[in-house]
Amino acid sequence: MLTVSGLHTHYGLSHVIQGIDLEARPGEVVGIFGRNGVGKTTLLKTVAGWVKPTAGAVRLGEQALSGLAPDRVAARGVGFVPEDRRIFPGLTVQENIELGLLQHKGASRREERAAVAEIHERFPRLAERRGQLGNTLSGGEQQMLAIARVLVGRPRVVLIDEPSEGLAPMIVAEIFGIIRELKAAGAIVLLVEQNVHEALSVSDRFYVVERGRIVLEGEADSDWARERLMKAIAV
Amino acid sequence: MADLVSYLQFVLAPQVVNGLALGMAVVLVALGLTIIFGLLDVINMSHGEFYAVGAFIALALGWLGLSFWLLLFLVPLLMIPFGVLTERLLIRRVYDGPDRHVTTLLLTFGLSLIIEELLSIVFGPNTQRPATPLRGAVELAGVYMPVYRLFLIGIGVVVILAVAWIVYRTRLGAMVRAAAYDRDMAGSLGVPVSLVYSGTFAFGLMLAGLAGVLLAPIYSVFPTMGRDFILIAFTVVIVGGMGSIWGAVVAGLALTQVQALAALVISPVWTDPIVFGVMVLCLMFRPQGLFGRLGHA
Repeated sequence: MLTVSGLHTHYGLSHVIQGIDLEARPGEVVGIFGRNGVGKTTLLKTVAGWVKPTAGAVRLGEQALSGLAPDRVAARGVGFVPEDRRIFPGLTVQENIELGLLQHKGASRREERAAVAEIHERFPRLAERRGQLGNTLSGGEQQMLAIARVLVGRPRVVLIDEPSEGLAPMIVAEIFGIIRELKAAGAIVLLVEQNVHEALSVSDRFYVVERGRIVLEGEADSDWARERLMKAIAV
Repeated sequence: MADLVSYLQFVLAPQVVNGLALGMAVVLVALGLTIIFGLLDVINMSHGEFYAVGAFIALALGWLGLSFWLLLFLVPLLMIPFGVLTERLLIRRVYDGPDRHVTTLLLTFGLSLIIEELLSIVFGPNTQRPATPLRGAVELAGVYMPVYRLFLIGIGVVVILAVAWIVYRTRLGAMVRAAAYDRDMAGSLGVPVSLVYSGTFAFGLMLAGLAGVLLAPIYSVFPTMGRDFILIAFTVVIVGGMGSIWGAVVAGLALTQVQALAALVISPVWTDPIVFGVMVLCLMFRPQGLFGRLGHA
C-alpha cells in the first residue's frame, strides 16, 4: 500500500502542500482532482522524489520513500509519467525505452530483452519508430513513449500527471485502456487529470485537493460523492 | 614546381602534422571540459590545472622509474579520485544554490589557483622536461614526421572514437545524455544521477590527465602550464558548441590547424589573436557554437 501522511512541501517560501494524507492499495486507481495550481503536480513530484518534503512521510509498504533521490524511489518500484512527458529529445525511442529498464535493478539481459519485446508488442508504433529521435514523435506518440519507458521497468506504483492533455480522443482512450491494464495487473495508480469524467471511469476512489489540502475524498462509483466532486472542482 | 614540392614536403606537411598532434591534445582537454559542461552545467575553470596535475604526476612517477607506457594508463586512473572528490566535496555543495554558474565558476577558479600554487611549492617554479618516449622520425611520401607526434595523433583518434562510442552507442552513454538533458526525469527512470555526475566529472579529468602525460615530452612541464593551454581549450568548446562532443573534436582540430598554418605566413605572435578572433566572430554570429549540446537534439 502507498501511504502519504502529513505531507508538507515548500517551493522556497511558498507552502504548496499543506498536510496531505492519502492512501492507495494495489490494483487501485486513485484520481486526484482540483483546480490548476492547488498542488496536485507537486504532490506527485514529492512522491517521485523530485521535490523534498518539508514534513510528513511517503511509504510504500514498509519502505520509506520520502527524502530519497528520484532514482532510489524508482528502484523501489515507483514510475512517474510527468505532465509534460519529458521525453529525452536527443535519445532515440529505443534508448528512451531502455533507460526505463534501470528502474528494475538486477534484471538479467534475457529478462530485459523480454521486457522490451513486450513493450514493442504493446506499442507497435514505438517499435516502428525505435530508431527515431524522441523529439521527432507526435504529441500522442511522445505520451505513449513516456508511459512505455515507465512500464518497461514493471513498476508497482505509477504516478501519471495529466496524460490526456492536448491529445486526440482516440489516443486518450488508448491511454485510459493502459491504465485499466495496470489496475488489472495489480499496480497502484495515482492519476492527476483535468478530464474528470474520463478519469472517474477508470478510478476506484478520488481525492480533491484545494490549496494544498485534501478537501474531499470518495468512491468513484458513488453518485453522492461524484456530485460533491463536481461542485468542489466547478470553476 | 620543384620549389612547391619541397615546400609541401618540408614546410607545410610537417606543420600540418605538428598542428594535428597539438590538436589531438587540445581535443582531449576540450572534450573533458565540454562533457562536464554538457552534463553538470559547470564551467570547470580548474580543468587546465588538472591537465598540469596529470603532467606532474607523470613526471614524478617517471623519476621513480615507471615507464611512460605504464603511465599512459596509470595517470588517467589516478585522476579519478581527484575528480570524484572535487565533484562531491566542492561542486555538489553549491550546485543547487542560486547562481550556479557564477558560484561554480568562482569555486573552480579558486581551486585552479590553489592547485597551481601547490604544484609550484612541491615541484618548484622551473620548467622540467621528461624524456621523449619515442625518438626519431619516419618517412612517409618523402615527408619526415616525428614518430612521437604520429603516435600522439593515433592515440588521439583512438580516444576520440572510444569516447564517441561510449557516449552515443552504450547504455552508460544514454544515461549520461539523459541526465544532461533532464536529471529529474533520468532519475525517475532509475539513472543513478549522483553517481553519473561524479563519474563524468572524473572522466573529464581522466582525459585532461591523459593529455598532460602525452604533451609533457613535447611542451615541458611547469606549474602554470594549464593556464596557457586552457585558453585554447575554452575557445574550442565555445566555437564547437558548449557541451558538444563533435563540436570539441571539429573545432579543436580546425583551430589548431589554423594556428599551425597561420604561423607559416605571419609571426607566431599573431596566431593566438586569430584563434580568439574566430571565437569572437562565432559568439557574434553563432553564439550556440557549431554543434548542439550533449543530450539535446
